[in-house]
Amino acid sequence: MKRPVQVVLLVLGGLGLLRASLLTDLYLRYVKQDLRPVLIASGVLLLVLGVADAVSQWRHRGEHHGHRGHDVDTPGRASQDAEGHGGEDGGHGHDHSGMPRAAWLLFLPVLSLLLYAPPALGAYTAARETPAAVDERQHFEPLPAASPVPMTLSDFTGRVRQDRAQAVKGRDIGMTGFVTPRGQGGGWYLTRIIFSCCAADARTVKVRMYGSAAPPADTWVAVTGTWHPGGTLGTPSAPVALDTRTVERITRPVNAYTDDLPLATSR
Amino acid sequence: MQKTEQLAEEPSSAAAVPAASGEASERGRPLPWPLLFVAAALAGPVLLVLARGLDEPAVQAWRTVCLAITVQALPFLLLGTALSGAINAFVPARVFSRVLPSRPVLAVPVAGVAGVVLPGCECASVPVANSLIRRGVTPAAAFTFLLSAPAVNPVVLTATAIAFPGSPAMVLARLLASLATAAAMGWLWLWLGRDEWLKPAVRHTGHRPGHSRLREFRLGFQHDFLHAGGFLVLGAMAAATFNVAVPRSVLDVFSGSPWLSVLFMAGLAVLLAVCSEADAFVAASLTGFSPLARLAFMVVGPMVDLKLIALQTGTFGRAFAVRFSAATMVVAVLCSALIGGALL
Repeated sequence: MKRPVQVVLLVLGGLGLLRASLLTDLYLRYVKQDLRPVLIASGVLLLVLGVADAVSQWRHRGEHHGHRGHDVDTPGRASQDAEGHGGEDGGHGHDHSGMPRAAWLLFLPVLSLLLYAPPALGAYTAARETPAAVDERQHFEPLPAASPVPMTLSDFTGRVRQDRAQAVKGRDIGMTGFVTPRGQGGGWYLTRIIFSCCAADARTVKVRMYGSAAPPADTWVAVTGTWHPGGTLGTPSAPVALDTRTVERITRPVNAYTDDLPLATSR
Repeated sequence: MQKTEQLAEEPSSAAAVPAASGEASERGRPLPWPLLFVAAALAGPVLLVLARGLDEPAVQAWRTVCLAITVQALPFLLLGTALSGAINAFVPARVFSRVLPSRPVLAVPVAGVAGVVLPGCECASVPVANSLIRRGVTPAAAFTFLLSAPAVNPVVLTATAIAFPGSPAMVLARLLASLATAAAMGWLWLWLGRDEWLKPAVRHTGHRPGHSRLREFRLGFQHDFLHAGGFLVLGAMAAATFNVAVPRSVLDVFSGSPWLSVLFMAGLAVLLAVCSEADAFVAASLTGFSPLARLAFMVVGPMVDLKLIALQTGTFGRAFAVRFSAATMVVAVLCSALIGGALL
């Protein structure tokens, strides 16, 4: 990879990161909110590196011509570097301008961020995952008096499966999430995808929905309803399911990879 | 520039390298990167597109996961390559010879414990280890640091404690098993390792008198980042392929047998390439598996995974990456089985 191409790559990389983290909320599709300052810093750093390299090349053009012979990145050389055997080049693997072809791969994520960012994970991934286990809990607070009671999907799952006091019994419950069709047999799940670091460690929480036709996949909805009876509530035999009373479309939250309470004002 | 001096050194090293090993024959191979990676990285999009036409959701999920791994790792890679560039340009070699015991056998455990100071995930540790070797640190100690740093730093241990509330034994077992694996690999390198497995570039020295340190730092940083970044993308593509192609429901098949599940979880850690700061949460979510199997997942993950193998191949060369990753995998599984068996 020639030096001017490196400059282009660094500058575009910096712009891509800044676009995704500073100017838009794109980064939330891939990583946690906490990473934002670090991503902004990385974007600035890449920009600075690129600009500094451009300036230094511009200053040094014409000089150092004898030294710059290696800058010509012939295919043979590049593949040797990439393979990890400098061979008779001996020390030249460290040559700062002779970059292995692998560096070209960086253009893929960079251009992806700048031009064509893929969407957040959704129903496709959720349909293929088994629901993540919720934390074991010994103690459950009494539910608030509000009706419907706003709940997260994880909390609902935990209460249905573990709360011996059966606090959800007969209560009207409100939850939000996106729609994952159930595939064969019809029906659908209200789903959330949660991750702890990036989209590669995504986990899924699902609640089966009864009593209403499935909205299109990936639609964000707010549902209210009561627990769908079956098995013994408060034990693992209880189905994590809801008999829906209302299903309303909502706009997709900005930070979708969380298991948030439905906003009380959204109804 | 550095190149003139290197030119002068060339005849001697050129004579030494081909004589040293049979790797000269490998040099002639047409394909520049390990086949496994190219195959895995390309198999994802190609298979998806071929098998399902343009099944958009699958391709999109692949792109999302691939980009997520890359974006998540980039800041850490920048930190690592910046540190590596700084060590190379600003830190005199005598600092390391003073801090580390002169006998390599003793330097190994010290380097392992020193891993505590690099808070970050595994992408940062590869370039740092590389620059340590360039600065004259014995490779065995540098590799111990490379393995221990992403697993034993406070950030990762805190995440583990949060992911496994109420079981401090898991945090302790992870710390001990990771340190044991790292040290064992360092000693194994002293015993069996051969310098010619490393690509010649890593035997370089940093600052040269008469040159601007700042410029050396910038160029080294830029080179290391672009170089490692390319391999990071390759690893992310391979990991995304497995991430999307293998649904988690397959895991339940293996959770029954205790020994098989340990091996399976170790293999899974390699394929999924989850960042070491997050792998505890993934391990905690795989509830069907025994604590021992989850420990193996957390010990192997930060030391061997697809993006790390790709990074190591780029930094140290393929001959090294293949041997080192395979050996680390075996040692890590043994250490987690022994320590996990005693503690969990």
